[in-house]
Amino acid sequence: MDTTVHELAPWAKRYPDGIDWQLNAPADRSIPAMVAGAARSYGSQRAFTCVMPNGMYGTLTYDEVDRMSDGFAVYLRERLGLAAGARVAVQSPNSLVTPVAAFGILKAGCVLVNVNPLYTEHEMRHQFNDAGVEALVIVDLFADKLERILKDTGVRHVLVSSVPSFFPPVVRHVIKGIMRWWNRVIPATAMQSTRFEAAVADGMRLQRERAIDVSGYWKHLDHGDLAVLQYTGGTTGVAKGAMLSHGNLLWNVDQIIAMGRAKFEPGKEVVLTALPLYHIFAFTANLLAFYKAGGRNILVPSPRPIQNLQRAIENYRVTWISGVNTLYNALMNEEWFHAFPPKHLKAAIGGGAAMHASVVKRWEQMTGCRLLEGYGLTETSPLVCFQPMSGPPKTDSIGIPAPRTEVRLVDDNGNEVAQGEPGELIVRGPQVMQGYWNQPEETAKSLRNGWFHTGDVAVMDDDLTFRIVDRKKDMIIISGFNVYPNEIEEVIAAHDKVMEAAIVGVPDARTGETVLAYVVKRDPTLTEEELAAHCRSHLTGYKVPSRYIFRDELPKTPIGKILRRDLRKEAVGQQQKQTA
Amino acid sequence: MLTEAETRLLGILMMVIMLGMGASLTFKDFAIALRKPQGILVGLLCQYGLMPLIAFSLATALALPPAMAIGLILMGCMPGGTTSNIFTYFSKGTLSLSILMTVCSTLVAIVMVPLTLEIYSSGIEGQWQIPRGNIVQVLAVLLVPTVIGIAIRKLNANVGAVIELVGAVLGVFVILFLIGSWVPRNWRLLLDTGFPVYAGSIGLGLVGFVLGYGLSRLLRQDSRRARTIALETGIQNGPLGVLIVLLSFPGPEQQQVLLIPVLYSLFIVLTSSAVTVWFRGITTREELARDQAKIGSVVTAR
Repeated sequence: MDTTVHELAPWAKRYPDGIDWQLNAPADRSIPAMVAGAARSYGSQRAFTCVMPNGMYGTLTYDEVDRMSDGFAVYLRERLGLAAGARVAVQSPNSLVTPVAAFGILKAGCVLVNVNPLYTEHEMRHQFNDAGVEALVIVDLFADKLERILKDTGVRHVLVSSVPSFFPPVVRHVIKGIMRWWNRVIPATAMQSTRFEAAVADGMRLQRERAIDVSGYWKHLDHGDLAVLQYTGGTTGVAKGAMLSHGNLLWNVDQIIAMGRAKFEPGKEVVLTALPLYHIFAFTANLLAFYKAGGRNILVPSPRPIQNLQRAIENYRVTWISGVNTLYNALMNEEWFHAFPPKHLKAAIGGGAAMHASVVKRWEQMTGCRLLEGYGLTETSPLVCFQPMSGPPKTDSIGIPAPRTEVRLVDDNGNEVAQGEPGELIVRGPQVMQGYWNQPEETAKSLRNGWFHTGDVAVMDDDLTFRIVDRKKDMIIISGFNVYPNEIEEVIAAHDKVMEAAIVGVPDARTGETVLAYVVKRDPTLTEEELAAHCRSHLTGYKVPSRYIFRDELPKTPIGKILRRDLRKEAVGQQQKQTA
Repeated sequence: MLTEAETRLLGILMMVIMLGMGASLTFKDFAIALRKPQGILVGLLCQYGLMPLIAFSLATALALPPAMAIGLILMGCMPGGTTSNIFTYFSKGTLSLSILMTVCSTLVAIVMVPLTLEIYSSGIEGQWQIPRGNIVQVLAVLLVPTVIGIAIRKLNANVGAVIELVGAVLGVFVILFLIGSWVPRNWRLLLDTGFPVYAGSIGLGLVGFVLGYGLSRLLRQDSRRARTIALETGIQNGPLGVLIVLLSFPGPEQQQVLLIPVLYSLFIVLTSSAVTVWFRGITTREELARDQAKIGSVVTAR
């Protein structure tokens, strides 16, 4: 057996401080067990507070979440008659409904399917049918989309929630009234549905009447049982459902907490959750990890426009923030943020897509706290690597593998590359998914010999930290040279007058491919010449973009990842039109 | 003339409106605004520099009798009205600036109103003058709920937000209440009233809009902020003016002096609505032009 340096866990030796390297298997056998345990430990403490842009809020304590999710579990099993293992979907922006629904579904022994509320009808139909969803909790804002496709799916039970669900009565009615009559964003539907709050109340009543012990539904669940179907593939193709087990998620929760052990005080932390909980990053890190550790989640239903975060940040002593590059960038541009940065922050976590060095530097200067980048994928629950808090501030690095995670860099033939050379990052560990739902070929492509192939190209530096170079598929080949868009984007984004940039490659008769830059200006006086000069002074000739296209904004996924493939499609399409 | 009960009701309504106004802002909002105070300073200049002068000029030019003149000048010296925020919202103006200007002009009113009123009403005969003590008293009483409102917002965001909403709704209601209770009882007086009084009541608002916009642009505010300041300048706190008159003048005199404040309140709603629709159209066109420019840049970047 080849024992390479990667398998001897040298990171524990190199970065021993502040990280719980001796990570034992999670004591909880399933997520419901973890939820019940948290309620016992933290009972009357506030678990979730959902904050509207104007400061109106609603709060649930650990006890309340526990009781209501129990009720919802009873409702699913007894009232709806769902069997164990049935798929139940939740389609909602961040709200108090999310934890109650998600935990309730898991407590019922069912499988949770997180659905993006901004999905089109087409995408919804695909996901519901692919996963075999039987029941759906959907926010009222998008009920009309569901109505149009309902008959094309196997969804038999529809539960409708609203953004201010479980808010205090007066405030809830004011917000709903404004949404319905003033903003007119709540569509009327003729669909047969039940209000989510009514379902929870019904379940709680049933539980009392029949003296049901809810743990009976989940006591037998173990690490190997399927917990969540988390769909991915948004940036690169058709959505696939990653099968995440209770073990996958619970291990990753412990791995995440282990990485931040030094600054983490159980029961005292307050995390700002502006990232969507239906995406794996906030799902595991904010919803599960901070819950297990008795933290308080400040939920923001929508981070767009960024002003929606103002009251959440000003009114609560936030100690942690999880975000993506786009979010941090936007926050730092706001006067209310950079004039009065939050004072109690311990650290910020960056993930989802590459963090730009310029953004990290600005953040650390502005707030005085570290912005720690992590790396992971939906298929790995998600955390794979993370910057150690005790490590030197190093921008552009994804840090070291989390405890109990094995990482290798391989070439196209599966052989390990030499130290310092780029190779595809492959992962083995308890957080790696079970496979793709009903997609044996795709699973076989990515999960080989127990290792998950990420499709990301990385390099290991001398200090044993990893750097992501780029996605294999986004690589541009110019005159035989491998060019990674990320590198060029970083250079452009480092220019003061640039807000953000995206690099794509388009076919070129002479060089094979050529580089195109899409740029969003921060300062309207920016010119092509300035940018070109800036690039030429930082990049080798063939990496300098051949053309710069200025935009007001770039197409992004809901989590803020720039959709390079959309830009590439547009660029290639325009090119074809020209030559036609 | 309003009955004692109605006067008291008006007073209470005003206090709740002030409470709501305070609750719409946090101390942090002030701190941020004070970093770049130009917008507010321009607004205050229009509010207490321009408007009293406009009122005085109109009263003189239209040769209004003292009872009418004092009413008009009083309205010119008033702080901004809370309905300006609603009109700014509908006209797609800069809402945060409007709220800040209304609150700031109200906070400094306790000093500025007696000052400007003294200056511009000095030429009016004694019996029609408004005693300074009255004004200070009313404003002091209203200042307290404003500050309480700000404190409530800080203590509990939910309570603060609901109070803000209630205050905004009452701000509209109180004007309708005034019109509904005064106009039916004073039909004869309205019909007998001559053109100059109407001209003054309507003109104060209109000239305020025009000069407010002009001065802001002169002081280098962008067109959207200038439109916001224009609305804020022209819309004065009508109900506050009415309250002061009610407390300063006895029965028969009260009826006369009330005429212009009430007429002003009635017409400002109409003129503001018209101006709001117009401004909204301008902002929409500006936004469209920006979108076109976006598309244009794609076309030319071939």
